[in-house]
Amino acid sequence: MRTYILQRLLQMIIVMIVVMVASFVIVELPPGDFLTTLREQLTEQNVDPKVIDSTVAMYRERYGLGENWFIRFAKWAWSLMKGDMGYSMQHNRPASDLIGERLSLTLWISVATLVFMFIIAIPIGMLSAIKQYSAWDHAFTFLALLGVSVPSFITALVFLLLSVTMMGATSVAGLFSPEYVTAAWSWAKFVDLLKHVWVILFIVGLGDTASTIRIMRAKMLDTLGEPYIDTARMKGLSSAKIYFRHALRVAINPIISSIGLRFPQIISGSTIVAIVLTLPLIGPLLLDALRGEDVYLACSILVLLTLALIIGNFLADLTLAWLDPRIRLES
Amino acid sequence: MNSAANPDIVLNIHNLQVSFRSIAGTTRAVNGVSLDVKSGEIVGLVGESGCGKSVTIRSIVGLVPSPPAIFEAGEIWLRTRQGLTETLALRKNMRALRQIRGRDVSMIFQEPMRSLHPMMPIGRQITEGILEHEVIDPTEAYERTVEMLDLVGLPNPAGQMNRYAYELSGGMRQRALIALALVCHPQLLLADEPTTALDVTIQAQILDLIKDLRERMHMSVLLITHNMGVVANLADRVSVMYLGKIVETGAVEEVFKEPAHPYTQGLLASMPSLFSEPKTNLQSLRGIVPELAMAPQGCVFADRCPYVMPQCSETPPLVELSAAHSTACWLYTGADTHGPADDSASSVEAAPVPVLGNRNASPGQPQGQPPQPPASDGIARTASDAEETIQLQIEGVALHYPILRGLLRRQVGTVRAVDGVDLTIRQGETLGLVGESGCGKTSVGRLVTRLVDPSAGHIRFRVPGGLENITRIAQKEMKSVRRSMGMVFQDPLSSLNARMNVRNIVGEPLMLHKMARGRKVDDRVGELLELVGLRAGHQSRFPHAFSGGQRQRIAIARALATEPDFLVADEPVSALDVSVQAQILNLLLTLQQRLNLSMLFIAHDIAVVRHVSDRIAVMYLGKIVELGNARDVCSRPVHPYTEALLASIPLPLPGFEASREMPKGDLPDPANPPTGCRFHTRCPYSQPLCAAEEPILRAQDQAGGHLGACHFQDELQLQGVEELGKSLRA
Ligand code: SF4
Ligand code: SF4
Repeated sequence: MRTYILQRLLQMIIVMIVVMVASFVIVELPPGDFLTTLREQLTEQNVDPKVIDSTVAMYRERYGLGENWFIRFAKWAWSLMKGDMGYSMQHNRPASDLIGERLSLTLWISVATLVFMFIIAIPIGMLSAIKQYSAWDHAFTFLALLGVSVPSFITALVFLLLSVTMMGATSVAGLFSPEYVTAAWSWAKFVDLLKHVWVILFIVGLGDTASTIRIMRAKMLDTLGEPYIDTARMKGLSSAKIYFRHALRVAINPIISSIGLRFPQIISGSTIVAIVLTLPLIGPLLLDALRGEDVYLACSILVLLTLALIIGNFLADLTLAWLDPRIRLES
Repeated sequence: MNSAANPDIVLNIHNLQVSFRSIAGTTRAVNGVSLDVKSGEIVGLVGESGCGKSVTIRSIVGLVPSPPAIFEAGEIWLRTRQGLTETLALRKNMRALRQIRGRDVSMIFQEPMRSLHPMMPIGRQITEGILEHEVIDPTEAYERTVEMLDLVGLPNPAGQMNRYAYELSGGMRQRALIALALVCHPQLLLADEPTTALDVTIQAQILDLIKDLRERMHMSVLLITHNMGVVANLADRVSVMYLGKIVETGAVEEVFKEPAHPYTQGLLASMPSLFSEPKTNLQSLRGIVPELAMAPQGCVFADRCPYVMPQCSETPPLVELSAAHSTACWLYTGADTHGPADDSASSVEAAPVPVLGNRNASPGQPQGQPPQPPASDGIARTASDAEETIQLQIEGVALHYPILRGLLRRQVGTVRAVDGVDLTIRQGETLGLVGESGCGKTSVGRLVTRLVDPSAGHIRFRVPGGLENITRIAQKEMKSVRRSMGMVFQDPLSSLNARMNVRNIVGEPLMLHKMARGRKVDDRVGELLELVGLRAGHQSRFPHAFSGGQRQRIAIARALATEPDFLVADEPVSALDVSVQAQILNLLLTLQQRLNLSMLFIAHDIAVVRHVSDRIAVMYLGKIVELGNARDVCSRPVHPYTEALLASIPLPLPGFEASREMPKGDLPDPANPPTGCRFHTRCPYSQPLCAAEEPILRAQDQAGGHLGACHFQDELQLQGVEELGKSLRA
């Protein structure tokens, strides 16, 4: 088990380095000198020349501009690790200011979507399998099919339309009611967030929930047909014990191992929804940064998202190894 | 129900009728089955697949889901701790059923790997059963589990408690399952093909264990199996089932000595036995088991019965032949009971039925001229003499796989699937290759056909131009060599493309080798289908429209399409029912003689191999341990492993106990074979030398036709089956 964790950690570090190198290449790609551009921008904004000089000098020093590429990479990587994400040209602010809140919101929403999805999908999938061909099963098979086939931005649009036309709502879009958007975090703001967030969870998670129901049902059916379930029945166990203790453990495996894959799906899915509903998530910001060649911002987001993803993956793998002795022992 | 009042009866099934409803209609899978199991008794229920035996025993414990099953009639009385209970009525009463399951009656299944939970330690799976039924301290449950594991012969039982199913070998898994089933001391054990998925030497151990536990735990066993040998070995009484009906019931000795029902006679005659004349046709039942819905009216066996008569269109009554023997057949009814019964007896004798009296056809004296292999003593011949008759020769052939581990895929070991094998197959000769799982026999077949590349050695094969070294030739050249090779595999369904019709499946090699086109293909495919006993008109059908045996015929037709001189048959009959198995073996024998084929016949069952082969090679962990004339190897084995294989086969001879020591333990890991003689960890004759030095394959007799790889083959007096048969008759 320990070697398994070490192995996975090593893999993560390698992936991280690869992504950072790739990002760095992107930073270096655009023609023109970052410092010149920066100086021009600041001059345009009539900033005090002394301040301009010192700012430019600071960035030159921090990123080792003018030195060879290896030192530049090392300095960039180092400052990134310290939490400095560079400067956003588009927004004229340090990138970290822009990223911070959006990233944490995105991560929270993703995790919440995952949890929401599991809480809904696993029991439904299980029940559909246990009561195969019942009315319940047929109903959810139909709904799940619908959920899988409708793209999330359509759901979002339909939702927008419905809430505006039918309920006259004004604040469907966005994560907060207007009065809280710029307000500092407070209990009231949090409650306001909760009021809005379920809509997003629903829209973002619908497709994934539906497909998870399908997977759960199919796996549960497979598992219930296995001879070891007969063995369990022949011990005289109750149905509840058979379903939860014996069948669920095995059936849930592919779903847990798919968490790692779902995470990026959710983030990209939430991006589209975020654009439609104008939510302050990281996805639209990244899109903007990429379109506007805002290199430091784009790279920082990429690196941070990658980090979040591989950590998520790692946790999923650990859970799986903890649940499944075969994986534990193989390594 | 009157018989159930008898305190001696543990289980009484009376007139059970179970139907299944599907879109296609309703079919009756179990049609009036009645069965008793007495206390302490082992009852065998035999029959081919689809005869309803599984539904019957699963009905006892409510494991048949309803719907789709409909329980139309019958009673099942089970003696439980609460007294006599009718379990069929309980099938909707989960609570009551749960109390019975595991405590009064338990069940073990066919596939030990899949019958244990993959993610739960063995120990917990067993204690779970105890805790379900008894109010007991967990530590006490733990101790009882350890005791039970010890009782079923798991080495180091306390250490096994935290292990998982995949960490155990097949035999150990089945032992653990038996422990799980018996830990609450049920009176009745239901065993559903408990040894079918196991290797023969392991099967012998498990059968012994069940016999032993029956005594120790005072329980009864209801065993279902398709293997007549297993029944003869284990059971006290036997019921033979066919298409949902029990056609014969009796004490094992009587049924095997004087099988009354034509179906029982046919089943016994279909089995290739270790005493029969090799390379002769087996007496097979004609036709195949019909679909349930297609079962004949009256006697369900009528369409396959050699004695069928007008009366048989009515349901035959159950006839008592003796106190402990009854059968459902018109042959034994009425005033003229004597006539037909006698008639059947004589016709049984006329056929080579391996019942006791008939084994006098001693294989020692060549009476019917079995085709002699052109060179059973080939090794002794001079090279030039032998050269022209060689069809295939492999020398020092090896197949090694690296075991890769870890992130960097480091090689941490090597599986030596095949480790230096020499074999020669002459023209027109059948060489049988026999061994248990993991011995490398299938790999040899794949090497010979170059489906895998050998790690070492040479392979020479006769193509129309002469012997060609095909060890390293490119796949493109191999394509033309394959024209002279046919291949038949175990599972006919997965080896035939389900989306192609028979014409394209069988004709594919013809088109591939540009041997025919258009209409010519149709004609040739038609010929081939008729050659293997199918109708030429069935070309446009798809594999799913055929039964298992017919699919294997299609596979054989395809293998023969290019008129090869050489055929590799890898377990061609092991997935088939006994009666169909005999038909396919007969077909292979006929074809081989008619087309003068050379054949490499690979199988795990030494009786089957003996029946079709001129010579036999016995493999153990990647090495040939014995090689010789088929009959000699079976009657005078020189290697202890061969002796063990022979002794492990359950013979259809009730009351016969193997007098020899059986091989101990499990097959070792092929990735890490024992040093010296690879068999030394299990060999009953092992000496210190055996672990130190590896014996070489060397000639045993003067002629040099019989080789063995045992240090002590000159001194050991090993027992073969024919002597065994003789001593039994004496
Ligand atoms: S009843 Fe007739 S058809 Fe049936 S087994 Fe007897 S003789 Fe054959
Ligand atoms: S060499 Fe030794 S261990 Fe091997 S088979 Fe012969 S007696 Fe047994």
